[in-house]
Amino acid sequence: MKKLRSRSFRKRLFMAFLLVSLVPMLLCTLLLVQIVRMRVEQSAQQEAEHSLANVVDSMDTVTASFIQAANTLQKDPVIIKALDDHDFNIEVYDKLFSASEELRTYARFDLYDMQGKRLYSTKKQSAAGASDVNWGILHSVNENAGKFTFVANGYSSIADKPLLQGAATIQKGEKPVGYLVISIDKSGFQRLFENEYGTQNELLVLNKYWRPVYCSQSVMAGNLAVELRQKVLEGAVFDKKDDFFYRVAFQKSTGLYFVLQQPRVFSQSTLRLIYTASFAIALVCVAISVFVSFKLSKQMFRPIQELQSAIHEVEQNNLDVQVCNIEKDELGRLAQQFNEMVIALKYNQRQLVENQTALNEAQIRMLQAQLNPHFLCNTLDTMKWISKINRVPQVALMATNLADILRFCISPEQFVTLDKELDLLQRYIEIQQIRLSNKLEIKLDIPAELYQCVVPKMMLQPIVENAILHGLEGTENGCICVKAERQDENLLRITVADNGKGLPQEMLGKYASEKCRQQQTHRHLGLYNVDTILQKHYGAQFGLYLSNAAQGQGAVITAILPIHRKGTEQC
Amino acid sequence: MRRRGLVLLLAAVLVLFSGCGYANVQSLKEYAPDDAHRLVVYTSHKQEVWWPIIKEFEERTGIWVDVKTGGTNELLEQIEKEQDAPQADVMFGGGVESLCSYADCFTPYASVEANQILPRFRDEKNRWTPFSSLPVVLVYNTKLVSPEMVTGWQDLLNPAFCGKIAFADPAVSGSSFTGLVTLGTALNTPFDKVICDFCKNLGGIQMESSGAVLDAVCGGSAWVGVTLEETAQKRIAAGENLAMVYPVEGTSCVPDGSALVKGAPHEQNAKLFLDFTVSEDVQRILAQQFCRRSVRREIPLAKDLTPLEEIPLVEYDINNTSKNREPILMSWAFYLDWEENE
Repeated sequence: MKKLRSRSFRKRLFMAFLLVSLVPMLLCTLLLVQIVRMRVEQSAQQEAEHSLANVVDSMDTVTASFIQAANTLQKDPVIIKALDDHDFNIEVYDKLFSASEELRTYARFDLYDMQGKRLYSTKKQSAAGASDVNWGILHSVNENAGKFTFVANGYSSIADKPLLQGAATIQKGEKPVGYLVISIDKSGFQRLFENEYGTQNELLVLNKYWRPVYCSQSVMAGNLAVELRQKVLEGAVFDKKDDFFYRVAFQKSTGLYFVLQQPRVFSQSTLRLIYTASFAIALVCVAISVFVSFKLSKQMFRPIQELQSAIHEVEQNNLDVQVCNIEKDELGRLAQQFNEMVIALKYNQRQLVENQTALNEAQIRMLQAQLNPHFLCNTLDTMKWISKINRVPQVALMATNLADILRFCISPEQFVTLDKELDLLQRYIEIQQIRLSNKLEIKLDIPAELYQCVVPKMMLQPIVENAILHGLEGTENGCICVKAERQDENLLRITVADNGKGLPQEMLGKYASEKCRQQQTHRHLGLYNVDTILQKHYGAQFGLYLSNAAQGQGAVITAILPIHRKGTEQC
Repeated sequence: MRRRGLVLLLAAVLVLFSGCGYANVQSLKEYAPDDAHRLVVYTSHKQEVWWPIIKEFEERTGIWVDVKTGGTNELLEQIEKEQDAPQADVMFGGGVESLCSYADCFTPYASVEANQILPRFRDEKNRWTPFSSLPVVLVYNTKLVSPEMVTGWQDLLNPAFCGKIAFADPAVSGSSFTGLVTLGTALNTPFDKVICDFCKNLGGIQMESSGAVLDAVCGGSAWVGVTLEETAQKRIAAGENLAMVYPVEGTSCVPDGSALVKGAPHEQNAKLFLDFTVSEDVQRILAQQFCRRSVRREIPLAKDLTPLEEIPLVEYDINNTSKNREPILMSWAFYLDWEENE
């Protein structure tokens, strides 16, 4: 069952077709055969029983007539006297013939004396003859105290041999004087049962020991009767496979068994023929159903197969596939949806590829962008060496500092320690000092414990640049004071104070209001960038605060950010 | 659900098929007799002999007799083979010396009729019950042989009859074996010499069965033959060109008989049957209708038979003969073969 289920749907459907076409047909055939057979056999059996009953009836009638005739003859004084006196008396024949009037067609009547000598006989030829009084029928009569007794002799093919004999003693008072013997021979039986047992049937008459007495077919006495007797002795049953059907009836007065052999309507060969025909029809049905189910399932599964192969194609990354021959049924809609899905998938994939290409291009550009600063750094280094050789120390110093700043700028990290940032600031100041002819002084007030604090790269330089460019403009002996301190344990407060002209009033307070930005962007790009970096990195509450010095000279720019030490960096 | 459907389908099919056998089975058991009314008889008699007797026995006793026919030796071998689980109750027929050879397979039984049986036909150990006495005779074709040419055993050694003697294979035919031993005993010549001479005169020809002997003599292909009185009588009565001679040197009169099989399944019925075979009624029928000699004292002889007293008889030792059966057959085969090869 499991195996059946695991097969493809198509095979299962195919099997179902086969079963549906085959099983009902076979069942119907069987049922029909059985019903017909049952009906026919039933009627045949009834007919057989009827025939057998007829046979037994005629036997009953005949034996009753025999006994009646015997009674008449036993009491007849003429017969008694003739037997007693051993006198031949023609009157005896008169009595004999009149008593056996009807019965002589089947049987012959004989009169024997006490020595077994036949004296009178209705048989055509001479009456002379003898019978052993200690053997056969006469012995039985003697044993039976002279009462009418039937004895069946064995079957004989000799025409006038008595097959069934009935006899009684004829008595004068108590003294037996002779025997009356009534015998039926083969032709007698033939006449008796003529047209009684059906033309197709055969009749077997068997004695109480199932030995043949009369058979409608002589050959049966030799084989069938012997076989039946053997079966009885073995207690066997009639063979079901036999082409004949047997019915047995017992006739009481003679102690004979009547066996009717009826040919089966459905003999084995007929049945075989029917079953062979059924089988042939079944074969044809199988062929037809194979053909039809093959065709039908093929037709039904073509769309599914197409869909399946299309899906397989998609699995193999072929997105150009489309299901054709779409019909307007459920499977057609499914195929339609599949087609749309494939198109969508294809679009998405193209999009993805495009994005990826753009990204790759950006990366390439970035790499190229990194290439140029390197070249600049190297050039600056070269400049430094050339100026050292040519003894222009300012150019050398500027080139060195510029190269360091440039290197610092293009380094990949986004955060650096505060001391590094201060170092960079130092170099920037050195450059500015050369530019401004040392009219610039810088003071650093950083506690050593804060050196290792992590801050965004290039955070201080724009603020200082802003102070130099805007705050100290026109100021002689400008001084910038950079101070760092801890605030509230985990906040770092960095202040850049100058002694310049101070900030205009409207810029004071928290930097980066929209107004400020709109007005100041073009002038204070550095401050804007730093504020944005701080806010983006640490949150909106951090950023730059602008104020003027309490003494009224110079601006103070304060940056507040969380303390992160190196190693625990990143927010 | 699926399984239930399958079961239903199977049940339907079963019902359909079982329909095939409806009401057709008819048991014959109800007609069968019970074990107390059964008897199994193995007989080597011809049907014309056993049939009237068995039929009358059935009628008189109500016992169903199952008859199995065959050759004497064949049936005796069968009985010996079935010794552990005997099928037969009675072995009916066969020379008593054959029965003696298989005495181990039989239980001694003294018939209730024993006193009426002539003493010469009684076995002192009651191993068998006699049935009829069967003198060995010579037969000749009356058209081919004149009566004075065949008078006794000596004539069978007459070179004039060389190749014209019908004699059945003694290994197959019990009567032929009896005839051979009688021939060897009747002549005043050593046994082996007689057999040797007889073989020479046979010309290496022996018949397949005892029935063939009569056919050969009646048909004229053989002139003389050795057979049993009963068989010869029947053929003569049938009007064949046949005459019968009791050999002047003396003949044997070994009876055939019946015996009760050891361990017979229906022993009581078997005893009834043995009694019946020697009963007056049967013995009278046997004398009147079967051309046989009764073993009972009071049964008169069929009218055209010579009384036993008038027939010269040889001393025939049944016990000795049955003991020496094998060696006799061996030397027979030897001489016959030797003659053939010469």
